[in-house]
Amino acid sequence: MFIGIDVGGTCTDAVLLDGSAVRATAKVETQEDLLISLGDALDNLLKGIPGDKIERVVFSTTIVTNLIAEKKYDPVGVIILPGPGRAFLEIREQKDVFVLNGAIDYRGREIIPLKTEELAEAVDWLKNQGYTRVAVVGKFSTRSNVHELKVAEYIKQRHPEWYVEMGHRAGGKLNFPRRIANTVLTCATREKYHYFANAVRDALARRDITAGVFILKADGGTLPLTASEQVPVETIFSGPAASTLGVQALTPPGETSLVVDIGGTTTDLALILSGQPLLASRGAKIDDRYTQVRALAVNSVPVGGDSVVERVGQEFIIYSERVGPAYCLGGPLPTPTDALRVMGITQMGDVDLAKEAMRNLGAPIGMGIMEVAHTIIELVINTIVTEIDRMYLEWEQEPAYRVWEVLQKKKLRPQNVVGVGGGAAGLVPQIASRLGCIPILPPYTPVANAIGAAVAKPTLQVSLLADTERKIYIVEEEGYQGNLADTIDEISAVELAKSWLWKRAANMNLTEYVQEIEIIGQDVFNIVRDWQTTGKLYQISVQTPRGILGHIGSGGRLLK
Amino acid sequence: MKKTGIIFFPAFDWAISPTHPEREERLLYTRDQIFEEGILDLPEIEEFPPRLASLHDISRVHFCVPTVSEQVLEAHRIAAGSAMSLGDKIINGEIKNGFALVRPPGHHAMRVVHGNRGFCSINNEAVLVEYLRRTYGVKKIAIVDTDVHHGDGTQDIFYHDPDVLFISFHQDGRTIYPGTGYTYELGGPGAYASTINIPLPPGVTDAGLHYVMDHLILPILKDWQPDFVVNSAGQDNHFSDPLGEMLISAQGYARLTEKLKPDLAVLEGGYAIETALPYVNLAILLALAGKDYTSVVEPGYYPGMYQEKPQVSAEIQRVVEELNEIWANRHKLDRLSLTNGKKFYQRNKPIYYDTQFIEEKQIEKVYVCSHCPGYLIIDSQAYHPDSKRYRILAITIPIQGCKACQEEGWKLYEQCKEDYRFNYVYLQDKSTDTFMMFQREEQREVRSDG
Repeated sequence: MFIGIDVGGTCTDAVLLDGSAVRATAKVETQEDLLISLGDALDNLLKGIPGDKIERVVFSTTIVTNLIAEKKYDPVGVIILPGPGRAFLEIREQKDVFVLNGAIDYRGREIIPLKTEELAEAVDWLKNQGYTRVAVVGKFSTRSNVHELKVAEYIKQRHPEWYVEMGHRAGGKLNFPRRIANTVLTCATREKYHYFANAVRDALARRDITAGVFILKADGGTLPLTASEQVPVETIFSGPAASTLGVQALTPPGETSLVVDIGGTTTDLALILSGQPLLASRGAKIDDRYTQVRALAVNSVPVGGDSVVERVGQEFIIYSERVGPAYCLGGPLPTPTDALRVMGITQMGDVDLAKEAMRNLGAPIGMGIMEVAHTIIELVINTIVTEIDRMYLEWEQEPAYRVWEVLQKKKLRPQNVVGVGGGAAGLVPQIASRLGCIPILPPYTPVANAIGAAVAKPTLQVSLLADTERKIYIVEEEGYQGNLADTIDEISAVELAKSWLWKRAANMNLTEYVQEIEIIGQDVFNIVRDWQTTGKLYQISVQTPRGILGHIGSGGRLLK
Repeated sequence: MKKTGIIFFPAFDWAISPTHPEREERLLYTRDQIFEEGILDLPEIEEFPPRLASLHDISRVHFCVPTVSEQVLEAHRIAAGSAMSLGDKIINGEIKNGFALVRPPGHHAMRVVHGNRGFCSINNEAVLVEYLRRTYGVKKIAIVDTDVHHGDGTQDIFYHDPDVLFISFHQDGRTIYPGTGYTYELGGPGAYASTINIPLPPGVTDAGLHYVMDHLILPILKDWQPDFVVNSAGQDNHFSDPLGEMLISAQGYARLTEKLKPDLAVLEGGYAIETALPYVNLAILLALAGKDYTSVVEPGYYPGMYQEKPQVSAEIQRVVEELNEIWANRHKLDRLSLTNGKKFYQRNKPIYYDTQFIEEKQIEKVYVCSHCPGYLIIDSQAYHPDSKRYRILAITIPIQGCKACQEEGWKLYEQCKEDYRFNYVYLQDKSTDTFMMFQREEQREVRSDG
């Protein structure tokens, strides 16, 4: 049996899956101490089921997201090697940043040597500022890590007790500013995350659960808990991934669905394209920082069931903030939830209170309670549909760098609109009818996120760059940079990438998940100098297939 | 704050041939540099996807022999379409300016296309210009070609068009492909001085280039008051370019961009793919977005590294002076003196397609009309690589065409359909955005309307 747990901002949801059946669900309030919520959820779920029946546990947690959002992470001294190019004044001028001279180019060649005499100065600065955690990040360090290694080694020699993280390990993709963010956040959250991971292991051990423990990532894949301790920042924004995977599990395979997750104050929109959740073309953004964290393409609309509705003149306005629960549930102000209650679409809360909320809004402008309710719901739906239309455009606006990518571009229009979250039942049928789609309200939507966690699979990627002229190769995800023994051809480059994927899987104890390997990128560039081919550049990306362990129940086609 | 729009289309799956300069690798390091600098995350810059130009968009400019689809690949249509897409966004006010960082290039492609010349098949800037004029009624468009090679294709297409000002500076044609672009090439009688060529000696540095900008190009643009400025942004004036012999740096290019303030820059040539392109493209993009570009420095370069030889500076000054005089006196010239009083102004043009070794013989006649730039008749013949001989007749009625020229053009088209000498007869009526093609052997006629 599989357990999925989603620790959200307000609720912690959990499910116990037995094959394609949901055996138990649990919903508890998220406490200040995440571990209490985890323990509660597990106990509610397991009632009487022995821990050794559990084959796998997957968590989706907001711990790192919250640490970052609330700036509760540890201070990090940042040593950068920006070299020539963009001025990066806004980064250079930050108090926690020290700039070293030295530069690498796009093929990993040193263009400005590291000024070793500046290293002592850098260490003095770190010491004087009181930093014991250091991020060392160079431009193009993903193409050659020599400078980062030298700087890190120098610091470690003098202060073995400090923790030093290097850019080429924390952010292997191209994008220097994002690499800085990845490295700093990895460095800053590592200890707190380690503490959390230990507590999780402890909580499971105390319940005799010895199964493998995984953490959900923002891209819908999972990582073993231990492996995630190296890259805690990969766990941000796993919440929307959890709901999207949940919908994927609750709808028939292979269909294109728009996922509308209507929460208390926000509505998350995601797309499942022919059965696969759409990935964002660039990394996730957190707290104004762009990162290299691979994430699903999720857009948020600041409107939900508990959004506050106010009348301004003859108009109603929906505010994004939550002041309390809906009026019909004893809250202070009218909300869309009250409107749905009045319209009889939901049965939650006191209908008389809901009517009172509508009356308070409408009476001064002579509007009947039903008219007010309709107007509010119309407004909510308009807001969401407008965002959906904008988002389609954005998805269609993805760049394309190859002729075939331009030619295969087509309009994205889903067949289903799948609703999850508290407000979904009342709103999704109307949203779907506006978009000309089939509305689907799968069973278990209140715990779709936990189901998503439970069915998530580990996914591993390897991006290999081999340069036969310089006789080097790089594995971005591993931060590995080594020498090519022989000149390789395209086939052996692909094999090399695959062998690294195997190696990566073996290191994480995940070989059972590597049944097949997909090639997701395969570019070959002839290096030509003076009309002579002097080498080849291979850029090969391979991955284990994305997907979920299985689908739940009937596939959710209840409403048609 | 309006953004700078960029369409980056490196065509990683297209090359003329595996070792040709116009190959997949050309913008690879530019991609690496742009991605690594994180400039696509800047709030001042927005990236858009490329799109395809339609066959009609191309027919609006070119006579592709025998047909558009025989000469034009998807990659060409994407490069031209990307320029059009940014053009749309600029006119609509969605972005403040744009950079079509695309390949393949286009500025050597002339009105008649028998094949690929100078790595170009269709003229991206010309397709853009005709699209903007047709779609939005943009009146006066200036194209400033800053490639080291003369933009002979763009010149050919707009040679008789008084509403398109074409300015090209380039290395002197006696020392580099395509061997044209002299100061006396000034446009036809109906468009005198709307073509300005600035041939420069090898060895021009940033200082010399900016002398030309400050004392010639910017003053001319100020006089002419274009509604839209396109920069054919070739990067082969760079000191490291293998084909050109100029000494311009990334900083020189960035300052040029900053002064020129083009609405849209379209990448042209530039084949120092490692030593120049990553830095020049980055610098141009930062300059367009109004960001600090002063730290964009090529490896090993330092300011003052190249000193211009005195005779080079003197030649630059001489050319600038000569052209300033022509520009100042352009209205005094009697256009009839250019035509020797004849009804048609004729140019006989041998055109060489270096990429495919095609030799075209072309006679171009423009009717000297007192109401409009006049309709144009082209008689062109060439053997194609498949050893087939084509002789075509093509008629262009300009977008400003008067009724008489339009009627005359159509009449001529009908007449030539009967003429056994021509395999193909084409008509472009830019005043109605209509394109006609008649294939004599099959007696087949194709019409397309915009």
